[in-house]
Amino acid sequence: MDLKQLTEINAVSGHEQQMRRALLAELAHCGAQVSMDRMGNVVAVKKGTGVQPKQIMVTAHMDEVGLIVTGYTEEGFLRIVPVGRVDARMIISKRVLVGDELLPGIIGAIAIHLQTAEDRKRVLSYSDIYVDIGAKDKAEAERKAPLGAYIAFDTLYVTFGDDRACGKALDSRTGVWNLLRLLEKDYTNDLTAVFTSQKEVGCRGAKGASFAKEPDMGLVLDGTDANDLGMTDEVQQCCRQGEGVAVSFMDQVSIGDRQLFRQALQAAEEGQIPCQVRQYAGGVNESGDVQRAREGIPTLVLSVPCRYMHSPSTTVKLSDVDAQLALTEKLLMQL
Amino acid sequence: MDVQKILTEAAALVGPSGQEAQVAAYFAEQFRPYVDEVRIDSMFNMIAHKKGTGPKVMLCAHMDEIGLMVSAVEEDGSVRLGQVGGVDPRILPACRVWVHGKEKLFGTIGALPPHLMDAKDQKNNYAREDLFVDVGLPAEKVKELVRVGDLVTFNTPATALLNDQFASKTMDDRACVTILLGAAERLSRMQCDADVYFVGSTQEEVGSRGAMTAAFSLDPDLAVALDVDHAVTPGCPSSVTASVDSPVTSIGPYIQPKLLKRLLDCAEAHHVKLQKCVNEWYTGTDADEVGFTRAGIPTVLLSLPLRYMHTTVETIDLNALNECSRLIAHFLSELDAGWEDDLWI
Repeated sequence: MDLKQLTEINAVSGHEQQMRRALLAELAHCGAQVSMDRMGNVVAVKKGTGVQPKQIMVTAHMDEVGLIVTGYTEEGFLRIVPVGRVDARMIISKRVLVGDELLPGIIGAIAIHLQTAEDRKRVLSYSDIYVDIGAKDKAEAERKAPLGAYIAFDTLYVTFGDDRACGKALDSRTGVWNLLRLLEKDYTNDLTAVFTSQKEVGCRGAKGASFAKEPDMGLVLDGTDANDLGMTDEVQQCCRQGEGVAVSFMDQVSIGDRQLFRQALQAAEEGQIPCQVRQYAGGVNESGDVQRAREGIPTLVLSVPCRYMHSPSTTVKLSDVDAQLALTEKLLMQL
Repeated sequence: MDVQKILTEAAALVGPSGQEAQVAAYFAEQFRPYVDEVRIDSMFNMIAHKKGTGPKVMLCAHMDEIGLMVSAVEEDGSVRLGQVGGVDPRILPACRVWVHGKEKLFGTIGALPPHLMDAKDQKNNYAREDLFVDVGLPAEKVKELVRVGDLVTFNTPATALLNDQFASKTMDDRACVTILLGAAERLSRMQCDADVYFVGSTQEEVGSRGAMTAAFSLDPDLAVALDVDHAVTPGCPSSVTASVDSPVTSIGPYIQPKLLKRLLDCAEAHHVKLQKCVNEWYTGTDADEVGFTRAGIPTVLLSLPLRYMHTTVETIDLNALNECSRLIAHFLSELDAGWEDDLWI
């Protein structure tokens, strides 16, 4: 499976079945021991070729943010709330797919001609927004989109510009793609590849996997905000597309293991792998749950710089994705 | 005639106000089989003429769309936006666009990530001036390919919803040009004395400049303008919206009352459900300018109700569209020399 196919699978947090099926099919012949655990994580274990291999857990989350049906208006529009963090301003005038049957829907907005000056200033909240599937009444809406139906962005993956890709869920699917590519090779260390579930609603999969697998160290593959366009100040940019994999010294949930951090930067330099230090101390990812599992696990986050995360049109530079893969491979050989 | 196919193709064409050549060329080809001659004038109005000896009628629906324009190319290659027509900035974040520079470039509209904003900014909508287009190229390359004044159009595919609802950009007003096309197709199989001009007008979004010049040059006896109207949407007062499932006609001082009665009678006779709405002053459509071109032209207005006007997901009902075509075909077919009797009494 390539990145395009991975992004076009709908796997909103808590409803990752389609992604699990696709991963299990893909992993059937990779030479790893593949299983699913009690949190719905897909786990692939590959024994290392070295004499005293360490168990290195590498995680990438398979879920994405989306929406869920919470009710109906009398006219047959769907009331919704976000699953994971989706800012309401990002979804106005966008297309979605409802449920496993991929029923097309749209999120409209009241015509500008009918808005008052007050209306224009007001940020729409989820109680103002609804999904229109063209239902003729509430009864039809309930039949076609039952309560709790999951809704994903309807976005086609596109490559554009200078080695760039635009699609939904790129913050996670780049890591998933890299994990799949990692599993094609062998390493001196043991590789415990975990495609985690429910990251966007509390990093729940990673917590369970870390407890169960008890790895010697953890590498978390994720996407992180690149706020590097639009004449932003350098200090607000977090990281920059095109400058390679972003290694975190710290974020909201963990302080990166100092030794791992130094080793990663050194490995990047030795391997001439494009690499940058993530210039931001905030942000949430699975590293907190990995690091604090059991008696503690040395952990490091390796991120792909993503613009417009948690929107229907996230973008990445593909060379940064390859850099995340290259650095992880090197660490699996030399840690 | 495959209405959905035509709507999808027409919506994807590039034609913001003042630059409608591509759309005019497309519709010229679509109308050609059903009329005697087609031409495109200096304002890019598409004029399709079905010759007749009876009353001269001009029907118009506008081909131009709202869009954006490059207002600046920043040092870092981000592209700032101005607007062509009334674009609601709330639709812009994470919206995909085409930047029509020296090459047609794919872009996405970017904004400061919400969770990196100050708490107070999180409570505000993004202003268009704070947004930018990301075309994914190095800054020097952007500056080479993109200039101030280049057009930026929306890149959103059409969506077929349940119950023959159809959501797309630019249904305002290419859905109504398609209504005229459907009418032309039906009329080609009917008896008709009227001398009919189907006009795809231009620059409506900036003041109906195409329609007024077309009306001047054609000098019709009467006119029928078509545009979209607001359909019932949660949160909108019901007094300004219509049900999406059938066409609407307008009552008010800009509408010729006897001509309107003829239209209403025709709808009733042919079982076309036709809703009524009131415009106590201007209608905000081509009808306004056409009505007092030259010495004045008696005009009526037909509207297609639409949800979410001026977004990239404008939603219409295909049955309403087809019924409006049917009504127009009958109206034209029954137009005879007596139409002007007692017009103002």
